[in-house]
Amino acid sequence: MHRLRYFIGLLTLVGAIIAAIWIVRLLRSLDDRAGVPLSVEFRNARGLRAGTDVRYRGVTVGTVRSVAISGDGNKAVAQLLLEPIGAEHACVNSSFWVVTPRFGGLTGGATGLDTLVRDSYIAFYTPPGSESELSPGSLIAGRERPPLNAEPEALDDVEHGDLLMTLLVPENYELKPGSSVIFRGVPTGDVRSVSLAPSGTHVEVQLRIQREHRQTVTDKAKFWVGRPSVSGALLSGFTVTDLSALLTPYISYYGAPGEGVLVQDGYRAAAELSRPAFEISPVPGNAVQQDNTGKPAAPDDVVLVRITYAAVERDTFSADDQILRHGSGVLFLDRSGRSVVVTARSLVDASFTEDDAWGDPEIADEVTKVHRADGTVMRAHRVWVDPTGQDLAALVLEDVPPDLLGTPSDRLVFGGTVAGVPLQIRAAGPDGAELPIQPMASELALSEANLGGCIAADGKVFGVIGRKVGDVVAAIVSLEYLPADLRPQ
Amino acid sequence: MSEALVFRNFGLAHRRPGGEEVLLEGVNLTLPKNGFFVFIGTSGGGKSSLLRILAGLIESREPAPRMSGELIAFGKSLTGDRTESLNNEVAAILQDEGLLDELSPRQNVEMALAASGRSRKLAPALLAQAGLASPPERVAQLSGGMRKRVAVARALASSPQLLLCDEPTAGLDPEAAHTIAKLLREAHDQDEGRTTIVITHDLDAFEEFADGVLVLDRPARSLRLEPPEFRLKGQDAVAKATDAAAGEPAAVHWTRRMLLQLAAIGETIVDSVRRLPPVEMGQVVRTTVRFTLEPALFVAVAGAVIGGLATFFALRNNPIDGGFETALLTGTGKVATAVLVPMLSGFFFTARIAAGASARIGTMKRTNQIAALRMMGVNPADYLLTPLVWAMVIAMPLVTLCGVVAAALAAALATSAASGITMVGWATAYFMTVSAHDVLVILAKSTLSGYLVAVACYHLGSGPKRSGADVGESVNSAIVVGMALVLTVHAGLTFLVYA
Repeated sequence: MHRLRYFIGLLTLVGAIIAAIWIVRLLRSLDDRAGVPLSVEFRNARGLRAGTDVRYRGVTVGTVRSVAISGDGNKAVAQLLLEPIGAEHACVNSSFWVVTPRFGGLTGGATGLDTLVRDSYIAFYTPPGSESELSPGSLIAGRERPPLNAEPEALDDVEHGDLLMTLLVPENYELKPGSSVIFRGVPTGDVRSVSLAPSGTHVEVQLRIQREHRQTVTDKAKFWVGRPSVSGALLSGFTVTDLSALLTPYISYYGAPGEGVLVQDGYRAAAELSRPAFEISPVPGNAVQQDNTGKPAAPDDVVLVRITYAAVERDTFSADDQILRHGSGVLFLDRSGRSVVVTARSLVDASFTEDDAWGDPEIADEVTKVHRADGTVMRAHRVWVDPTGQDLAALVLEDVPPDLLGTPSDRLVFGGTVAGVPLQIRAAGPDGAELPIQPMASELALSEANLGGCIAADGKVFGVIGRKVGDVVAAIVSLEYLPADLRPQ
Repeated sequence: MSEALVFRNFGLAHRRPGGEEVLLEGVNLTLPKNGFFVFIGTSGGGKSSLLRILAGLIESREPAPRMSGELIAFGKSLTGDRTESLNNEVAAILQDEGLLDELSPRQNVEMALAASGRSRKLAPALLAQAGLASPPERVAQLSGGMRKRVAVARALASSPQLLLCDEPTAGLDPEAAHTIAKLLREAHDQDEGRTTIVITHDLDAFEEFADGVLVLDRPARSLRLEPPEFRLKGQDAVAKATDAAAGEPAAVHWTRRMLLQLAAIGETIVDSVRRLPPVEMGQVVRTTVRFTLEPALFVAVAGAVIGGLATFFALRNNPIDGGFETALLTGTGKVATAVLVPMLSGFFFTARIAAGASARIGTMKRTNQIAALRMMGVNPADYLLTPLVWAMVIAMPLVTLCGVVAAALAAALATSAASGITMVGWATAYFMTVSAHDVLVILAKSTLSGYLVAVACYHLGSGPKRSGADVGESVNSAIVVGMALVLTVHAGLTFLVYA
């Protein structure tokens, strides 16, 4: 009994000593761990503490190891340890700053409010196109405030079809990325960036006008920076215009309807010095009736794309399975202007087809790409699969080129069939070009030449080739299952 | 010189609050050398007190009996201003025999042999002479008669001139009592010039062996020598009333007691330093190993529970979800590592070890084992205090280490359970403000409190023990005082260093 107690005690003591050694080694090796150690100098460390995060795009990619005063006493030096993933994104022209609560005045808004209740942390921003990674041990001059150009990261991406133009303004009036662009009081776009012209004579403001509002910008449109102005006379009373710009400056423009021609991407215009005097045109009489003009021209045929889907099925007891599938899909623009590809779910969702003896299959690293006949390749996100088990899925494309056209809505039939006409299979080949049209057969074997391809009759698409529910037999899956949000207008 | 003991107008009185209890008055008696005397008298009459005076076993923490006149033993005066000690010339077999429990019977004899500078190899011969040719391995296995035999063998180890026995036949049947009496007489006859005094109520057992009967006449407050045939004849009448006038006032008495207590504390502390170089090396090593290994798991589990719970709930009950997690972890880590867990480890260690240590010492005191040590010429401080101090001073930091490390590991688990912080993040934050300096402070706190707890345990355990209740009381006090010392040291040093 005594021996057992002593033995257990000895085990505990030895365990404690080993654990103590392990802890000391862990603490010693914290600085030697994989990653890139950096020193960043600040004039003011703003209460930065050792142990807090280093973040890139809001993701923690490193740790502050220590904060100290530099040898000459003029700077605070923070020692950072970037994890390998963070080190990949830290380049020689990255900007580092301390995130603390900042109030940039009425126009600048407040930033870093999370650090009111959290520790201050270091964030860094790497301008696009930077490739020279920081070498370990670099000493970098940190910024005292966030760089202005870090803000576009918070803006929505430019979408296919948006108008990108440059406005030359004599004075910035505190415009910044994200400031609104307003037409008839309606936001139609935003400021992407603000920079001083190389000559220093004016400021160049990059604007994005959303696709659905591009027709409001003509070469006759007048631009100005919205800021409050008072007009009128002592006796007749005052009119204050653009009062809302007191807090947030914006860019406004106006063009009378029917005047001028639509502008192209890259259009440059000079802003007026102040709000020009103009008469706002009344609501045209024909607007009371349904107005269908101004729609972008559409192609006249079904647009088919080639789809490549890759994924990995993780297996617990055996090697992971690589999944690679090819097939087709039908491209069109949905009611909100997104480029949508509708296809068979069995093509683009491995969890739908794979079985795992141990429960649901674990699918990882899914990548879906869409190829067009002209050679462009776009990434696609699977945004919808049919919840009732029909073999139907919808993808939304990203980084679509401006000239991408979809299947016109009058060629898509959501619900019902076309009777009395022979059914045809239309699909895209490996190069994205459409394969020869095949007649629909009763005993169809699924292959990459037809999976996800569309079933057309009389030039109209009403379904895709997929699996029969609960089976692997080929079947026509009607487009009627597609939700209204994903259908064209 | 043919006299063993000479009493000249000798008086003996117990000091009691508010008065004295006079035991002997104007005793004039001479005991010749080489005599085997049976010492009888009423219970509580002062026989044992006289025996303790002769053996030099006066309790130092209580007012000593007041002696008047002269008592000369083997030419050395035990009274007056310059009292002398009989040292190796006297050996005593006390009530309960005072055999050291943790040693074997043979080791008990060997220890006495070594203490008086004789060869340990004589032990089997001594035991055989006492009628125990092959004693069992442990003292606990001895029967009452065997205990007496071992005690006789041990007493003879120093071949004393004066052999004192306190009730050697108590609790034995007449046959066994007779055997022991015979054994004592044989032992007496073995050495030329040995004087033996046996306190007993069993005159029959000793009748054929005694040279004379020493009678303590309680009513007469006198001591006289009678022939061996003497029997007490119902004279155990009422003792004379306490002579209040002769005594000192209660206040003086209690002040004296207080001062003696303080002096005893001082003496223990001085002993703890002066006796620090280990004499009984085996004792030191055994005690250290036991004190380290026994409570290690106990304290580690306690530390893990404290560290784990503190971290888990600090993170979980964070009023701001995910806010200041590193700061919370840093604070918890510093407090748990440098303050809380070392202190609680000290508490757990004290509760676990101090109780046992003080109970052991108290029992040894109560069963005359400590007195036996002193009789053998072994300083109880060497045998008990020094090992205790070394063991506590070494074990307390080691056990605290177990607690602190277990707390840290539990905190790591709790951190991963309560937040998304990684192991590296935990280590960075938890130990951010913990430095080597803190480790030194923990070491200082645990070492100092270990030392103080050891001194307190020994002091309380080795105080006067009249009953088992006194032992219990001293255990109780050892825990309370030990905890208070741990608390004081930890709070004081923490405040001094960090505030």
